[in-house]
Amino acid sequence: MTPTVSASGLSLHYGATRALDDVSLRLTPGVTGLLGPNGAGKTTLLRVLATAVPADRGAFTVLGHDPGSARGRQEVRRRLGYLPQTPGFHPDFTAFEFVDYVAILKELTDRGARHREVRRVLEEVDLGDVRGRRIKKLSGGMRQRVALAAALVGDPGFLVLDEPTVGLDPEQRMRFRELIARAGEGRTVLLSTHQTEDVAMLCHRVLVMASGAVRFDGTPAELTARAAGRVWSSTQRDPGAKAGWRTGTGTFRNVGEPPAGAELLEPTLQDGYLLTLDGAGATEVAA
Amino acid sequence: MTGEHGKGTAGRGVVWALVRPVWRTLPWRALGAAGTVGLLLAGTSRLVSGGPTPWLTLVLLRAAALVGALGLAFLLDDPARHLTAPVPTRRPLRQALRAVLVAPPVALWWAAVLLLAPAKVRPPVAGVTVEAAATCALAFAGAAAAVRLTREQRPGQAVAAALLTSAVLAPLLLPDGWELFVPAENPAWDAAHDRWALVSVAAVVAWGLCGPEPSARWARVRGPGGRRAGSSA
Repeated sequence: MTPTVSASGLSLHYGATRALDDVSLRLTPGVTGLLGPNGAGKTTLLRVLATAVPADRGAFTVLGHDPGSARGRQEVRRRLGYLPQTPGFHPDFTAFEFVDYVAILKELTDRGARHREVRRVLEEVDLGDVRGRRIKKLSGGMRQRVALAAALVGDPGFLVLDEPTVGLDPEQRMRFRELIARAGEGRTVLLSTHQTEDVAMLCHRVLVMASGAVRFDGTPAELTARAAGRVWSSTQRDPGAKAGWRTGTGTFRNVGEPPAGAELLEPTLQDGYLLTLDGAGATEVAA
Repeated sequence: MTGEHGKGTAGRGVVWALVRPVWRTLPWRALGAAGTVGLLLAGTSRLVSGGPTPWLTLVLLRAAALVGALGLAFLLDDPARHLTAPVPTRRPLRQALRAVLVAPPVALWWAAVLLLAPAKVRPPVAGVTVEAAATCALAFAGAAAAVRLTREQRPGQAVAAALLTSAVLAPLLLPDGWELFVPAENPAWDAAHDRWALVSVAAVVAWGLCGPEPSARWARVRGPGGRRAGSSA
């Protein structure tokens, strides 16, 4: 399958901080999850692939276009949808006006066609009924859907979503997952998240990043399988475990190399993720 | 694609379509507050008992121009900046549109400020207008630099603070022969305004450098095999 995004050797430094370290990847249609602790470089990678910031080194193409020159970058941006971590809105705009504004910036200049497209994406994110309501009057979940609609306007072939479910309540999160799953039909979606449940439910593939580098690239089942036979229960935190945390039942769940005779547990995606990080960032996830 | 991209004539079509939404995204609250304070400052000279002196009128006009520029420091504030960063409509065009849209009301406001100063003691209009234009250009260049160098969605406050600090320190720190703030009757008035014109040009050049994306950095990112953009499309 021809990859939608093909990147090799992407590196980026912020001063002495190495934000991206020789990242190579190929993305194909469907939802790809991007997991990693805070500071792993997820947002930086997304911003580079979304052409919001140039890398220091490396090469990549999006839908066959090379963003290295202004012309190629324009072509990439015409085919791109981007939902940043903190989208930000003009609060006095209605949902329709805001998405329409983004549609103009995406060069949809035919007014009639543009308005049809804006109505379509607002319906797609279930905001058709409130499209005339000012953004400042919308709930957090609705605002996030306005941002998703803005990303979807123009029917982009590559959709970049940076932690879109953060701050949403469980019901809103489920609804948002459904929208992302729908958006992933026939297009390539790169979804950055802290939620392993998001990946388990949505993604056909997952990348794990730490310290600016990709530590794992495979299916969610393969990531889970990494923890097979390496998750066990104990009455207290096992000092030999790479990560361990108290569960609701009062016992400790440990991942790493189990001691002889340990009570092994069924692994989850989160266990595989923690083992991939080799303990780095485990506290954040376990907390 | 469901939507239709306007190719070829996209630039002009986009500009016309953007006029209304961009007009609405301008920082009217900051501009309105600055404009009001500027008018009040200029009008103060009419309230002085015994009539204002030329020096006081000049100081008040300069203060009004500075306050107006402080309002313009917020011109590039954009809460939706991150969401609209990777769009095909280029940043310089979007910034220029904001400047063009705000220019007529600012020009009208400045005319009102000048008219509020009593004609008898009003300093040479051309000179003081060059000063005001340079101050506004500095504010705009500062905002453009903040957008270029930071990820702030609302850099206006920091830019305004920097501009205010510069305005306070400039008369104290500028070396002899480089004075900018001279009285109208001073023989150095014309020379000072040549320097103000230079400041304007420098500010416009700074905006010209800060407005576009860092193309040299982007040029380091190449498609596989080092092909140039377009050849792989």
